[in-house]
Amino acid sequence: MLSIALIGYAGFAALCLAMEKHFSELLKRKPSPGKLRVLRIGGWLLLMLSLVLAVHGRGWAHGLVEWIAVLMAGVTLWVFGLPYQPRLVLGLAAVSLVLGPLLAVLAG
Amino acid sequence: MKRSAAGLPLSYRLAVVSRSLAALLGGYLLASLVSVCLALLLPLPQVDATLTGLMLSFVFYLLAFIWCFACRSAWRAWLGVLLPSLVLGLLGGFAYWMKNP
Amino acid sequence: MKEGFRQAMAWLHTWTGLIFGWLLFAIFLTGTLSYFKDEVSHWAQPEVRRHALDPVASLGLAQRYLESNAAHSGSWMIRLPSEREAALNVGWRDPEGGRRGFVRKDLDAQSGQPVEARDSRGGDFFYRFHFELQMPYPWGRWLSTLCAFIMLLGLVTGIITHKKIFKEFFTFRPGKGQRSWLDGHNAIGVLVLPFHLMISYSSLVLFMYMVMPASIMASYGDTSGYFNDLFGRDEAPKVANVATPLVPLAGLYAKVQEQVPGARIGFIQVQNAGDRNARVTFTQSSADNVPYQRSANWTFEGATGELLKQGAPESATMMTAFSFAGLHMGNYAGPWLRWLYFAFGLAGTAVIGTGLVMWLGKRQLKHAKQERLPGELRLVEVLNIASMSGLILAVAGFFWANRLLPVALQGRADWEVNTFFLVWLAALLHAVLRPGRRAWGEQLALGALAFALLPLLNALSTGQGLNASVPAGDWAMAGFDLTALARGLFLAWAASKMLRPPKPAAKRAPKAAKVSPEMVEVQ
Repeated sequence: MLSIALIGYAGFAALCLAMEKHFSELLKRKPSPGKLRVLRIGGWLLLMLSLVLAVHGRGWAHGLVEWIAVLMAGVTLWVFGLPYQPRLVLGLAAVSLVLGPLLAVLAG
Repeated sequence: MKRSAAGLPLSYRLAVVSRSLAALLGGYLLASLVSVCLALLLPLPQVDATLTGLMLSFVFYLLAFIWCFACRSAWRAWLGVLLPSLVLGLLGGFAYWMKNP
Repeated sequence: MKEGFRQAMAWLHTWTGLIFGWLLFAIFLTGTLSYFKDEVSHWAQPEVRRHALDPVASLGLAQRYLESNAAHSGSWMIRLPSEREAALNVGWRDPEGGRRGFVRKDLDAQSGQPVEARDSRGGDFFYRFHFELQMPYPWGRWLSTLCAFIMLLGLVTGIITHKKIFKEFFTFRPGKGQRSWLDGHNAIGVLVLPFHLMISYSSLVLFMYMVMPASIMASYGDTSGYFNDLFGRDEAPKVANVATPLVPLAGLYAKVQEQVPGARIGFIQVQNAGDRNARVTFTQSSADNVPYQRSANWTFEGATGELLKQGAPESATMMTAFSFAGLHMGNYAGPWLRWLYFAFGLAGTAVIGTGLVMWLGKRQLKHAKQERLPGELRLVEVLNIASMSGLILAVAGFFWANRLLPVALQGRADWEVNTFFLVWLAALLHAVLRPGRRAWGEQLALGALAFALLPLLNALSTGQGLNASVPAGDWAMAGFDLTALARGLFLAWAASKMLRPPKPAAKRAPKAAKVSPEMVEVQ
C-alpha cells in the first residue's frame, strides 16, 4: 500500500504543478505550456497507475477503498504542508516518484 | 443576503418558512412516493426493488430541497414538490392496486 | 431567492450549516472517537487482560461457562476475543435479568472466569451517542438521521457554491484571517470529499428502513417480511423437550474453517442449547469483508454437528446496501486504515467547526466597532464555544470520571455519562459568563490540561501508564494515552492563539491542520 500511496502523492503533486499559478509560485519560474501539459498527463497517469496497482494487489473492494483513502491522505498532506514547508513537500514528491514504483516492483 | 437595519420584512420571513416546510415535508413526501414507485415497479425481486427505492429516495429528497430554495417563489416551491407527488402517488397507487387486487 | 442559483445554494448552505452545525459537530466528534471504541473501552476497563488469541480454547471456555450458568435460557450468544477486543463475551436471554432481558458477561479469555472490571460504558458510550444522542428511542435516531441528511445537503450545496472548486483545489493560504478560514474549510471539505459523501450517505442507508418506511409498507405491508427476505431469517426451531447434549462448539468452528480458511468469527448464536432441536449459527467477523455479508453465516444442528445451511448469496442490490453499511462502520479496517478513518472523521468535524467559526466571524467583523455583539450573534458565539470546546471538555471529563470514580460505586457507568453532560453544561454556563475570546481560550486551555494529564492520571491510578503499556506491547492502552497527549498539545496551541490579544493577521490556522499531525504522529 505504501507504494500506491507514494505514487498517488506524486501524481497529485504533478497535477498541482500543472497549474500555472502553483508552478510559478513553487518552482520560481514561468512554465511553458508544453511543460504544464506534460505534468498534467503525467499526473493523471500516475494516479491511474496507483489505482491499477491497488486493485491488482488487493482486489476491487479493498483495493478501491484503500486507494481512495491513501489518495485523500496524500493530497491533504500536500495542500496543508505546502504553505509551511514547500521544499519538504516538493522533495517528498520527488522521492515518491522514484520510491513508489521501486517499492511496487520489489513487492512483486 | 442583504439585511436592512430594521430587520427583514415579514413577507420575506414567511416565504422562507414556507419554502422550508415545502422542502422538509413536501420533499419527504416526494421522496417517499418515489421510493414506493421504485419498489413496486422495478423489474427486480421484491426485496431488491424495495432496497433500491429506499437507497435512491434520499437523492430525490435532496433534489426537492434544492428546488425549494432555488426556484423563484415559495409558491413554485410547493408546486414543484406537490405536482410530481400527485403524479407519483397516482402511479404508485395504481401499481399497488395491481399487486393487491 | 431572486438572486442566482449559486447564491440561493450559498444561503441554504450557510443557514442549514448554522442551525444543524452544533449538533453535527457533536455527532462527528463522537462518531470519530467510535472508530477506536474498542481501544477506548480497553482503556476504560483496564482490568480486562489481553491474551494471545486462541479461538478454539475460548470457544470451549465459553461453552463451559454457558452450560453451567445459562442452561435454563433458550438463547445464547458468544463473541470471541479479537485483536481489538480483549474479553470473551457471553450473553443469554433471561427475561428477569440484565438489560432488556439479556444478560451479558465478560470472561477472561484465558481462564474463562468472569472479569471483575469497573462498570463503564467505555467507547460504547460515544458510539451510541453519535446516533442516539442520549435521547429516548427512537427520537435520537430520527434526529441524527435528519442531521445526516442536512450534512449531505451541506456538502452538495457547498460543492455548488464553491465556484473555483477545481481552480482552488490545491489552494490553502494561511495567515490571512477570514480568507484562511474559508480556504481551510473548502480544502478539508473538497480534498476529503469522497469520505464525507460516503459517511453522510451511508448513515442514511443505515437507518433508511426506519426513516423512509413507505416503500417497505407498500411492498411488504410490514417490516418483518422485508427483513426476512433481506437477511434470510428462518423461524426459530421449536423446543423438542428431549435433553441432548450440545456438541463441542470447537468442532463446529473447525468445520467453518474448512469452508473459509482463516475466517475470523464475529459471533456465535446457540438456540435451544441442550435440546434435541438445538441450532448453532456462526457468523463471520465483519472485520473480514468490506460489506456485511449474509452469506458469511453457517448454521449447524446443535445435537449432531451437521451443517444445515449457509446464508443465501446476496444480490447486487443487497451488496450495494451492505457495502454502504460496511464502509460506514469501518470494521474491516486494519490499523493504518483505521487511523485514516479517524483522521478523515476529524476532517469532517473540522469542516463543520470551521464553518461555524466563519459564520460568526464574518458577521462579527461588521459589528467590530460596537461594544457588544447583538443578541443573536452572542447566542451563536455561546453555542459555538459550548458545542466545540465545551464538548471536548466533556469528553475529557468522561475519561477523568472513569479513573477517579470509586470502582465499587453503584451505577458508576451512569455517573461517568452524567459527568460528561455536567461538564458540557458547565462549559455552556462558562461561555455565557465570559467574553467570547477568553471563553475559548480558557476552555481550550483547560481541555489541553485535561487531556495532557490523562496519561499521568492513568499511570497513577491503574499502574498501566505508558511506562507499563509500551514495554508490554499493549498498543491499545498506549495509543490512547499518546493520542490524549497529542490532543492536549494541539489544544494548548489553539488556546495560546486565543489567549493572545487578537491581531488581524495572526488568526489561528484552521483546525484542519490537525489532520496532518495526527496522521504522521502515531504510525
